[in-house]
Amino acid sequence: MTSYIPPTASDFLSRLADAPCCAAIVDGGRLEAALGSRAPAVFVLRGNGLDLSDMIRRVHDSGKLIAVHLDLVDGLKADHWGVTWLARCGVDAVITSHGQLMPVIRNEGVIAIHRLLLSRREHLDTAVTALARSRPHIVEILPGVVLPAINGLLPPLEVPMLAGGFIRTPLDARSVLAAGAIGVTTSSEGLWDLQAAAHG
Amino acid sequence: MADGASIHLPRILVADTGRGGTSPPPGLDAGILLRNTDLAALIECALSNGTPPAVELDSIRGLGSDDAAVAFLRDKLSIEIMLTRRPQVADAFAAAGGLALLNVLAFDSTGLRRSLHGHPRRERVGTVISPGLVLHHMLPSELALLVRPLVAYGLIDNAGDALATLAVAEGIVVRPEVAQGIAESEALMRGVGLSPA
Repeated sequence: MTSYIPPTASDFLSRLADAPCCAAIVDGGRLEAALGSRAPAVFVLRGNGLDLSDMIRRVHDSGKLIAVHLDLVDGLKADHWGVTWLARCGVDAVITSHGQLMPVIRNEGVIAIHRLLLSRREHLDTAVTALARSRPHIVEILPGVVLPAINGLLPPLEVPMLAGGFIRTPLDARSVLAAGAIGVTTSSEGLWDLQAAAHG
Repeated sequence: MADGASIHLPRILVADTGRGGTSPPPGLDAGILLRNTDLAALIECALSNGTPPAVELDSIRGLGSDDAAVAFLRDKLSIEIMLTRRPQVADAFAAAGGLALLNVLAFDSTGLRRSLHGHPRRERVGTVISPGLVLHHMLPSELALLVRPLVAYGLIDNAGDALATLAVAEGIVVRPEVAQGIAESEALMRGVGLSPA
Protein backbone atom coordinates (compact mmCIF):
# COMPACT_ATOMS: atom_id res chain seq x y z
CA MET A 1 0.00 0.00 0.00
CA THR A 2 1.44 3.36 -1.03
CA SER A 3 1.06 6.27 1.33
CA TYR A 4 -0.75 9.32 0.06
CA ILE A 5 1.30 12.49 -0.27
CA PRO A 6 -0.87 15.59 0.19
CA PRO A 7 -0.53 18.14 -2.60
CA THR A 8 0.77 21.66 -2.19
CA ALA A 9 -1.18 24.63 -3.48
CA SER A 10 1.24 24.72 -6.41
CA ASP A 11 0.41 21.10 -7.22
CA PHE A 12 -3.26 21.96 -7.19
CA LEU A 13 -2.80 24.97 -9.45
CA SER A 14 -0.60 23.10 -11.92
CA ARG A 15 -3.35 20.52 -12.45
CA LEU A 16 -5.72 23.32 -13.44
CA ALA A 17 -3.38 24.24 -16.26
CA ASP A 18 -4.49 21.13 -18.16
CA ALA A 19 -8.13 20.93 -17.11
CA PRO A 20 -9.46 24.15 -15.57
CA CYS A 21 -12.90 22.98 -14.45
CA CYS A 22 -13.33 21.36 -11.04
CA ALA A 23 -16.39 19.20 -10.37
CA ALA A 24 -18.70 20.66 -7.73
CA ILE A 25 -20.96 17.97 -6.35
CA VAL A 26 -23.82 18.20 -3.92
CA ASP A 27 -24.51 14.52 -3.45
CA GLY A 28 -22.78 11.20 -3.85
CA GLY A 29 -24.78 10.43 -6.97
CA ARG A 30 -22.65 12.79 -9.02
CA LEU A 31 -19.39 11.36 -7.74
CA GLU A 32 -19.13 8.66 -10.40
CA ALA A 33 -19.49 11.20 -13.18
CA ALA A 34 -16.91 13.44 -11.55
CA LEU A 35 -14.44 10.60 -11.16
CA GLY A 36 -14.89 9.63 -14.79
CA SER A 37 -14.26 13.16 -16.04
CA ARG A 38 -11.12 15.18 -16.70
CA ALA A 39 -11.85 17.42 -13.71
CA PRO A 40 -8.66 17.58 -11.63
CA ALA A 41 -10.51 18.04 -8.35
CA VAL A 42 -13.85 17.31 -6.73
CA PHE A 43 -15.41 20.06 -4.64
CA VAL A 44 -17.84 18.63 -2.11
CA LEU A 45 -20.55 21.20 -1.34
CA ARG A 46 -23.01 18.99 0.53
CA GLY A 47 -23.05 15.69 2.36
CA ASN A 48 -22.16 14.23 5.70
CA GLY A 49 -18.91 15.77 6.88
CA LEU A 50 -18.57 13.05 9.48
CA ASP A 51 -18.67 10.26 6.92
CA LEU A 52 -16.27 11.25 4.19
CA SER A 53 -13.62 8.53 4.31
CA ASP A 54 -15.01 6.39 1.49
CA MET A 55 -15.48 9.40 -0.78
CA ILE A 56 -11.98 10.67 -0.06
CA ARG A 57 -10.46 7.26 -0.80
CA ARG A 58 -12.34 6.94 -4.08
CA VAL A 59 -11.35 10.44 -5.20
CA HIS A 60 -7.70 9.80 -4.39
CA ASP A 61 -7.79 6.38 -6.03
CA SER A 62 -8.94 8.09 -9.23
CA GLY A 63 -5.94 10.41 -9.10
CA LYS A 64 -7.95 13.52 -8.29
CA LEU A 65 -7.91 15.94 -5.42
CA ILE A 66 -10.77 16.58 -3.02
CA ALA A 67 -11.83 19.89 -1.47
CA VAL A 68 -14.59 20.02 1.14
CA HIS A 69 -16.72 23.05 1.98
CA LEU A 70 -16.61 23.26 5.76
CA ASP A 71 -19.55 25.69 5.99
CA LEU A 72 -21.94 23.58 3.91
CA VAL A 73 -21.42 19.93 4.81
CA ASP A 74 -23.57 18.46 7.56
CA GLY A 75 -22.27 17.52 10.97
CA LEU A 76 -19.34 19.93 11.27
CA LYS A 77 -18.93 23.37 12.76
CA ALA A 78 -16.87 25.98 10.95
CA ASP A 79 -14.21 26.28 13.64
CA HIS A 80 -10.70 25.10 14.48
CA TRP A 81 -11.85 21.59 15.35
CA GLY A 82 -13.94 21.23 12.21
CA VAL A 83 -10.85 22.08 10.16
CA THR A 84 -8.76 19.60 12.14
CA TRP A 85 -11.32 16.88 11.53
CA LEU A 86 -11.27 17.40 7.76
CA ALA A 87 -7.48 17.49 7.71
CA ARG A 88 -7.26 14.21 9.63
CA CYS A 89 -9.79 12.69 7.23
CA GLY A 90 -7.33 13.36 4.42
CA VAL A 91 -8.97 16.11 2.39
CA ASP A 92 -6.61 18.08 0.16
CA ALA A 93 -8.30 21.44 0.56
CA VAL A 94 -10.78 23.09 2.89
CA ILE A 95 -13.12 25.78 1.58
CA THR A 96 -14.78 28.28 3.89
CA SER A 97 -16.06 31.84 3.91
CA HIS A 98 -14.55 32.33 7.37
CA GLY A 99 -11.29 34.13 6.73
CA GLN A 100 -10.10 33.67 10.29
CA LEU A 101 -9.83 29.92 9.64
CA MET A 102 -7.25 30.29 6.88
CA PRO A 103 -4.23 30.14 9.24
CA VAL A 104 -5.73 27.08 10.92
CA ILE A 105 -6.16 25.33 7.58
CA ARG A 106 -2.63 26.20 6.49
CA ASN A 107 -1.22 24.98 9.78
CA GLU A 108 -2.93 21.64 9.23
CA GLY A 109 -0.98 21.27 6.00
CA VAL A 110 -4.10 21.57 3.85
CA ILE A 111 -4.77 23.94 0.96
CA ALA A 112 -6.78 26.92 2.25
CA ILE A 113 -9.51 28.22 -0.08
CA HIS A 114 -11.29 31.39 1.02
CA ARG A 115 -14.73 31.67 -0.53
CA LEU A 116 -15.67 35.29 -1.22
CA LEU A 117 -19.35 35.99 -1.73
CA LEU A 118 -19.85 39.18 -3.70
CA SER A 119 -23.28 40.77 -3.69
CA ARG A 120 -22.85 44.54 -3.59
CA ARG A 121 -20.35 46.96 -5.06
CA GLU A 122 -19.72 48.54 -1.67
CA HIS A 123 -18.68 45.15 -0.30
CA LEU A 124 -15.83 44.66 -2.77
CA ASP A 125 -13.23 46.68 -0.89
CA THR A 126 -14.16 45.00 2.37
CA ALA A 127 -13.83 41.60 0.75
CA VAL A 128 -10.40 42.38 -0.63
CA THR A 129 -9.27 43.68 2.75
CA ALA A 130 -10.49 40.47 4.36
CA LEU A 131 -8.53 38.50 1.80
CA ALA A 132 -5.32 40.39 2.51
CA ARG A 133 -5.78 39.64 6.19
CA SER A 134 -6.67 35.95 5.84
CA ARG A 135 -3.91 35.07 3.31
CA PRO A 136 -5.45 31.95 1.78
CA HIS A 137 -3.65 29.84 -0.81
CA ILE A 138 -6.55 30.34 -3.23
CA VAL A 139 -9.66 32.52 -3.34
CA GLU A 140 -12.93 31.34 -4.84
CA ILE A 141 -15.17 34.13 -6.11
CA LEU A 142 -18.95 33.65 -6.18
CA PRO A 143 -21.01 34.21 -8.24
CA GLY A 144 -18.23 33.57 -10.73
CA VAL A 145 -20.34 34.17 -13.79
CA VAL A 146 -20.31 37.92 -13.11
CA LEU A 147 -16.52 38.09 -12.89
CA PRO A 148 -16.06 39.44 -16.42
CA ALA A 149 -18.56 42.21 -15.71
CA ILE A 150 -17.08 43.28 -12.36
CA ASN A 151 -13.43 42.77 -13.20
CA GLY A 152 -12.88 46.49 -13.51
CA LEU A 153 -14.37 47.08 -10.05
CA LEU A 154 -12.27 44.45 -8.32
CA PRO A 155 -8.87 45.56 -7.03
CA PRO A 156 -6.00 43.27 -8.01
CA LEU A 157 -5.99 40.13 -5.87
CA GLU A 158 -2.70 38.79 -4.62
CA VAL A 159 -3.81 35.16 -4.66
CA PRO A 160 -4.86 32.76 -7.44
CA MET A 161 -8.56 32.95 -8.13
CA LEU A 162 -11.20 30.33 -8.84
CA ALA A 163 -14.66 31.29 -10.03
CA GLY A 164 -17.84 29.39 -9.19
CA GLY A 165 -21.57 29.94 -9.42
CA PHE A 166 -23.92 29.92 -12.46
CA ILE A 167 -21.05 28.92 -14.81
CA ARG A 168 -22.75 26.47 -17.13
CA THR A 169 -21.47 26.78 -20.66
CA PRO A 170 -18.04 26.68 -22.32
CA LEU A 171 -18.55 30.36 -23.15
CA ASP A 172 -19.19 31.16 -19.46
CA ALA A 173 -16.05 29.25 -18.49
CA ARG A 174 -13.90 30.84 -21.19
CA SER A 175 -15.12 34.29 -20.16
CA VAL A 176 -14.21 33.90 -16.49
CA LEU A 177 -10.84 32.37 -17.35
CA ALA A 178 -10.15 35.27 -19.67
CA ALA A 179 -11.13 37.60 -16.82
CA GLY A 180 -8.32 36.25 -14.66
CA ALA A 181 -9.61 33.11 -12.97
CA ILE A 182 -7.17 30.21 -13.02
CA GLY A 183 -9.96 27.69 -12.69
CA VAL A 184 -13.69 27.15 -12.49
CA THR A 185 -15.81 25.24 -10.01
CA THR A 186 -19.05 24.05 -11.55
CA SER A 187 -21.79 21.50 -11.07
CA SER A 188 -22.42 21.43 -14.82
CA GLU A 189 -21.13 18.05 -15.90
CA GLY A 190 -20.73 19.23 -19.46
CA LEU A 191 -17.85 21.44 -18.37
CA TRP A 192 -15.91 18.88 -16.37
CA ASP A 193 -14.13 17.69 -19.52
CA LEU A 194 -13.24 21.16 -20.75
CA GLN A 195 -9.60 21.19 -21.78
CA ALA A 196 -7.23 24.02 -21.20
CA ALA A 197 -6.46 24.28 -24.90
CA ALA A 198 -10.10 25.03 -25.59
CA HIS A 199 -10.32 28.08 -23.41
CA GLY A 200 -7.53 30.14 -24.88
CA MET B 1 -51.76 55.20 2.34
CA ALA B 2 -51.87 52.76 -0.57
CA ASP B 3 -52.51 49.12 0.09
CA GLY B 4 -50.57 46.30 -1.49
CA ALA B 5 -52.93 45.91 -4.42
CA SER B 6 -52.37 49.48 -5.60
CA ILE B 7 -48.72 50.00 -4.65
CA HIS B 8 -46.59 50.93 -7.60
CA LEU B 9 -43.13 49.36 -7.69
CA PRO B 10 -40.82 51.69 -9.64
CA ARG B 11 -38.75 49.95 -12.28
CA ILE B 12 -35.65 51.69 -10.99
CA LEU B 13 -34.90 52.15 -7.30
CA VAL B 14 -32.07 54.60 -6.76
CA ALA B 15 -30.09 53.69 -3.66
CA ASP B 16 -29.51 56.56 -1.26
CA THR B 17 -28.77 57.25 2.40
CA GLY B 18 -31.33 60.05 2.59
CA ARG B 19 -28.65 62.56 3.53
CA GLY B 20 -27.45 63.59 0.09
CA GLY B 21 -30.68 65.00 -1.32
CA THR B 22 -30.65 62.48 -4.17
CA SER B 23 -33.69 62.45 -6.39
CA PRO B 24 -34.35 60.10 -9.31
CA PRO B 25 -33.49 61.43 -12.78
CA PRO B 26 -36.56 62.89 -14.49
CA GLY B 27 -38.21 60.87 -17.20
CA LEU B 28 -37.67 57.50 -15.54
CA ASP B 29 -40.09 55.27 -13.69
CA ALA B 30 -37.87 55.58 -10.63
CA GLY B 31 -38.00 56.00 -6.88
CA ILE B 32 -35.63 56.19 -3.94
CA LEU B 33 -34.44 53.22 -1.87
CA LEU B 34 -33.16 54.27 1.53
CA ARG B 35 -30.34 52.06 2.75
CA ASN B 36 -27.21 52.17 4.91
CA THR B 37 -28.55 55.02 6.97
CA ASP B 38 -30.01 55.63 10.41
CA LEU B 39 -33.43 55.99 11.93
CA ALA B 40 -33.30 59.78 12.14
CA ALA B 41 -32.40 60.12 8.46
CA LEU B 42 -35.14 57.69 7.54
CA ILE B 43 -37.77 59.69 9.43
CA GLU B 44 -36.61 62.99 8.00
CA CYS B 45 -36.59 61.66 4.46
CA ALA B 46 -39.93 59.89 4.74
CA LEU B 47 -41.72 62.89 6.19
CA SER B 48 -40.21 65.53 3.92
CA ASN B 49 -40.49 63.74 0.62
CA GLY B 50 -43.68 63.77 -1.44
CA THR B 51 -43.26 60.14 -2.45
CA PRO B 52 -42.43 57.75 0.36
CA PRO B 53 -39.17 55.96 -0.31
CA ALA B 54 -38.66 52.23 -0.34
CA VAL B 55 -36.65 51.10 2.68
CA GLU B 56 -34.05 48.37 3.17
CA LEU B 57 -34.97 47.57 6.75
CA ASP B 58 -31.90 45.52 7.66
CA SER B 59 -29.49 48.35 6.90
CA ILE B 60 -31.24 51.07 8.92
CA ARG B 61 -29.23 51.65 12.10
CA GLY B 62 -31.41 51.98 15.16
CA LEU B 63 -34.49 50.36 13.64
CA GLY B 64 -35.50 46.93 14.88
CA SER B 65 -36.85 44.05 12.86
CA ASP B 66 -40.04 43.23 14.72
CA ASP B 67 -43.75 44.00 14.58
CA ALA B 68 -43.26 47.41 16.19
CA ALA B 69 -40.79 48.41 13.50
CA VAL B 70 -43.14 47.21 10.77
CA ALA B 71 -46.05 49.15 12.29
CA PHE B 72 -43.89 52.25 12.55
CA LEU B 73 -42.89 52.06 8.87
CA ARG B 74 -46.45 51.52 7.70
CA ASP B 75 -48.51 53.64 10.10
CA LYS B 76 -46.21 56.53 10.96
CA LEU B 77 -44.05 56.89 7.86
CA SER B 78 -46.44 55.53 5.21
CA ILE B 79 -43.69 53.37 3.75
CA GLU B 80 -45.12 51.22 0.99
CA ILE B 81 -42.17 49.11 -0.10
CA MET B 82 -39.72 47.37 2.22
CA LEU B 83 -36.75 45.10 1.52
CA THR B 84 -35.54 42.61 4.11
CA ARG B 85 -33.71 39.31 4.38
CA ARG B 86 -36.04 38.16 7.17
CA PRO B 87 -39.04 36.12 5.96
CA GLN B 88 -41.15 36.77 9.05
CA VAL B 89 -40.67 40.53 8.76
CA ALA B 90 -41.61 40.41 5.08
CA ASP B 91 -44.71 38.45 6.02
CA ALA B 92 -45.68 41.00 8.69
CA PHE B 93 -45.14 43.95 6.36
CA ALA B 94 -47.34 42.35 3.72
CA ALA B 95 -50.00 41.63 6.33
CA ALA B 96 -49.91 45.32 7.21
CA GLY B 97 -50.76 46.16 3.60
CA GLY B 98 -47.32 46.95 2.23
CA LEU B 99 -45.27 45.40 -0.53
CA ALA B 100 -42.42 43.41 0.98
CA LEU B 101 -39.45 42.17 -1.02
CA LEU B 102 -37.51 39.29 0.51
CA ASN B 103 -33.78 39.39 -0.12
CA VAL B 104 -32.62 36.08 -1.57
CA LEU B 105 -28.91 35.40 -2.08
CA ALA B 106 -27.96 33.87 -5.40
CA PHE B 107 -24.29 32.94 -5.40
CA ASP B 108 -24.79 29.59 -7.11
CA SER B 109 -27.68 27.45 -8.27
CA THR B 110 -27.82 25.16 -5.25
CA GLY B 111 -27.56 28.06 -2.81
CA LEU B 112 -30.38 29.83 -4.62
CA ARG B 113 -32.75 26.94 -4.08
CA ARG B 114 -31.83 26.77 -0.42
CA SER B 115 -32.33 30.52 0.05
CA LEU B 116 -35.81 30.28 -1.42
CA HIS B 117 -36.98 27.73 1.14
CA GLY B 118 -37.82 30.45 3.64
CA HIS B 119 -39.87 32.59 1.26
CA PRO B 120 -43.40 33.18 2.65
CA ARG B 121 -44.89 32.78 -0.88
CA ARG B 122 -47.87 34.92 -0.07
CA GLU B 123 -49.51 37.85 -1.74
CA ARG B 124 -47.56 41.13 -1.55
CA VAL B 125 -44.23 39.43 -0.83
CA GLY B 126 -41.91 39.55 -3.82
CA THR B 127 -38.23 38.76 -4.19
CA VAL B 128 -34.99 40.68 -4.29
CA ILE B 129 -32.15 38.76 -5.93
CA SER B 130 -28.64 39.60 -4.73
CA PRO B 131 -26.44 40.10 -6.60
CA GLY B 132 -28.88 41.27 -9.22
CA LEU B 133 -26.36 40.92 -12.00
CA VAL B 134 -26.75 37.12 -11.98
CA LEU B 135 -30.39 37.35 -12.95
CA HIS B 136 -29.86 37.24 -16.68
CA HIS B 137 -27.55 34.24 -16.25
CA MET B 138 -30.29 32.16 -14.65
CA LEU B 139 -32.10 29.33 -16.41
CA PRO B 140 -35.82 29.73 -17.14
CA SER B 141 -36.46 26.97 -14.59
CA GLU B 142 -34.66 29.02 -11.93
CA LEU B 143 -36.44 32.24 -12.87
CA ALA B 144 -39.72 30.36 -12.54
CA LEU B 145 -38.91 29.65 -8.89
CA LEU B 146 -38.67 33.35 -8.03
CA VAL B 147 -41.78 34.89 -6.54
CA ARG B 148 -42.81 38.08 -8.35
CA PRO B 149 -42.46 40.98 -8.31
CA LEU B 150 -38.76 40.51 -8.79
CA VAL B 151 -36.11 43.14 -8.07
CA ALA B 152 -32.42 42.77 -8.94
CA TYR B 153 -30.04 44.33 -6.42
CA GLY B 154 -26.26 44.42 -6.47
CA LEU B 155 -23.31 44.70 -8.89
CA ILE B 156 -25.44 46.36 -11.57
CA ASP B 157 -22.93 49.03 -12.37
CA ASN B 158 -23.69 50.38 -15.80
CA ALA B 159 -26.69 51.23 -17.96
CA GLY B 160 -26.18 48.25 -20.26
CA ASP B 161 -26.30 45.72 -17.42
CA ALA B 162 -29.24 47.60 -15.90
CA LEU B 163 -31.30 47.41 -19.07
CA ALA B 164 -30.42 43.76 -19.66
CA THR B 165 -31.54 42.97 -16.13
CA LEU B 166 -34.79 44.90 -16.55
CA ALA B 167 -35.65 42.54 -19.38
CA VAL B 168 -36.18 39.77 -16.79
CA ALA B 169 -37.04 41.69 -13.60
CA GLU B 170 -39.78 44.10 -12.62
CA GLY B 171 -37.24 46.38 -10.95
CA ILE B 172 -33.59 47.04 -10.23
CA VAL B 173 -31.63 48.82 -7.51
CA VAL B 174 -28.80 51.01 -8.76
CA ARG B 175 -26.58 53.84 -7.64
CA PRO B 176 -27.53 57.41 -8.68
CA GLU B 177 -24.77 57.50 -11.32
CA VAL B 178 -26.12 54.38 -12.97
CA ALA B 179 -29.67 55.76 -12.90
CA GLN B 180 -28.37 58.86 -14.63
CA GLY B 181 -26.70 56.67 -17.24
CA ILE B 182 -29.99 54.90 -17.86
CA ALA B 183 -31.75 58.22 -18.29
CA GLU B 184 -29.18 59.15 -20.91
CA SER B 185 -29.72 55.90 -22.79
CA GLU B 186 -33.17 56.64 -24.12
CA ALA B 187 -32.69 54.60 -27.24
CA LEU B 188 -31.76 51.54 -25.21
CA MET B 189 -34.69 52.21 -22.91
CA ARG B 190 -37.10 52.08 -25.84
CA GLY B 191 -35.46 48.83 -26.88
CA VAL B 192 -36.62 47.03 -23.74
CA GLY B 193 -39.90 48.86 -23.38
CA LEU B 194 -38.86 50.85 -20.34
CA SER B 195 -41.77 53.19 -19.83
CA PRO B 196 -41.13 56.81 -18.89
CA ALA B 197 -42.56 58.09 -15.67
